[in-house]
Amino acid sequence: MTQDEIYSKVQHVLVDALGVDDDEIKPEAALMDDLGAESIDFLDIQFRLEKAFSIKIPKGDLTPEGLTNNPEYVQAGKFTPRGLQEVATRMPLADVSPLKADPRVENMSKLFTVDFITKYIASKVG
Amino acid sequence: MKFNLLDTIDTLSDTKIVASKSVSLAEEYLVDHFPTFPVLPGVLMIEALVQSASWLLFHRSNFSKSIAVLKEARNVRYGQFVAPGNTLKVEVELLKETDSGATFKAVGVVYQPGIARGEQALSARIELAYFSLAEKSGDPNHRELDQKIIAHNKFRWNVITASGMKLPQGVQI
Amino acid sequence: MRWIWIDKFTRFDSGTRAVAVKCCSASEDHVHDLYPNFPIVPNSLLIESMAQTAGILVGESRQFKEKVILAKIGKASFSRVVRPGDLVEFDATVLQLNEMGASIEGVIRLLSNGFGQPESPVVAQIELMFSHIDNNIAGMKFPEHNFVFTGHFTQLLDEFRNKPEPTY
Repeated sequence: MTQDEIYSKVQHVLVDALGVDDDEIKPEAALMDDLGAESIDFLDIQFRLEKAFSIKIPKGDLTPEGLTNNPEYVQAGKFTPRGLQEVATRMPLADVSPLKADPRVENMSKLFTVDFITKYIASKVG
Repeated sequence: MKFNLLDTIDTLSDTKIVASKSVSLAEEYLVDHFPTFPVLPGVLMIEALVQSASWLLFHRSNFSKSIAVLKEARNVRYGQFVAPGNTLKVEVELLKETDSGATFKAVGVVYQPGIARGEQALSARIELAYFSLAEKSGDPNHRELDQKIIAHNKFRWNVITASGMKLPQGVQI
Repeated sequence: MRWIWIDKFTRFDSGTRAVAVKCCSASEDHVHDLYPNFPIVPNSLLIESMAQTAGILVGESRQFKEKVILAKIGKASFSRVVRPGDLVEFDATVLQLNEMGASIEGVIRLLSNGFGQPESPVVAQIELMFSHIDNNIAGMKFPEHNFVFTGHFTQLLDEFRNKPEPTY
């Protein structure tokens, strides 16, 4: 499957799951910040991606857990250097620079972009 | 129980309505939803949206048709629960009106008493079908029925808008 | 008003598909509240009937250990109105199911309006998602015991399986 084909299918999934228009889906668009995704939508998106690409997405791959409530990783509402490292390890395909620039916990949502999803899928379907 | 899912209309314009529903532990269905964890059922939040949107349509059209029903709900996403003692404030905004009804976008926020900041309980897009029975059936005999229903809608509107009436201050007894 | 929006199961394929029915009656108070002289079943309650059918299907697949809560309605599209005297069927199929939740596709049909099944029996098509809230992403805390599946819902399933039919 080509990168374009993957992107197109991911776009379709996001339009169905989030009720947004085709033209709102851009690689740099963040699912929560730009496309209005809420937590239940991540599960919906995961189900639809699994079906569209005939893959299984292990728990924690798209939305890593145990980060924000761990005092080793987050102190006073900000990611520690150790925490930022952990985020990068758990989400190797994400662009963590927005979080490095401003390590407040709420900025973690900036990592969940259309591009991150596309890259993740590409890594699973080859 | 009366199937009136709105206690007050808070604001109203030609394109937007804000209304509230407070939840009381006395509401019968709570005994089953859920035993030991009473919360407003999600579909009753949808009903509150539908009733708000219906009022907006009745108001806009000056009660020209009799019946408004939910035709489609899309992307309804639930967040925080609404527990007894709390109030769900729904904000419904008209997106597009058609011959057969209208579409709306809506948000519901739950407030606890004494706390200014609420939390989102749901967001949704809904479409209502708005019609009169005589128009659907082509039967002129239904016109009288439509008139009765419209009269009742107007009566209920007066009741719900009067509930926002301010009580006189300092009544000594 | 009890919060019981299905009367009985007519089919139950564990983890896959369940079908339940509801008799809509003029003695249900709420059908008279919105439009007196034109009693009507509110479509929001039909969504709940589907949610209960599907919720029990999803709950049973994991032995009622999860707190199965309706989290999202992707789409609920209605094509006809339901009235007292109608016998309605809720047909729910599991699309996806894992430890986090489930997605369901459902069809609501009018089995009979008292005169037999009408020509266009489809009442609604519904896409739902449930969340297993103890495992959910938002990190809220809930009571330990499973308050979702107490008594009545599991009883509906027992009745389907054991089919008690008292005769006089």
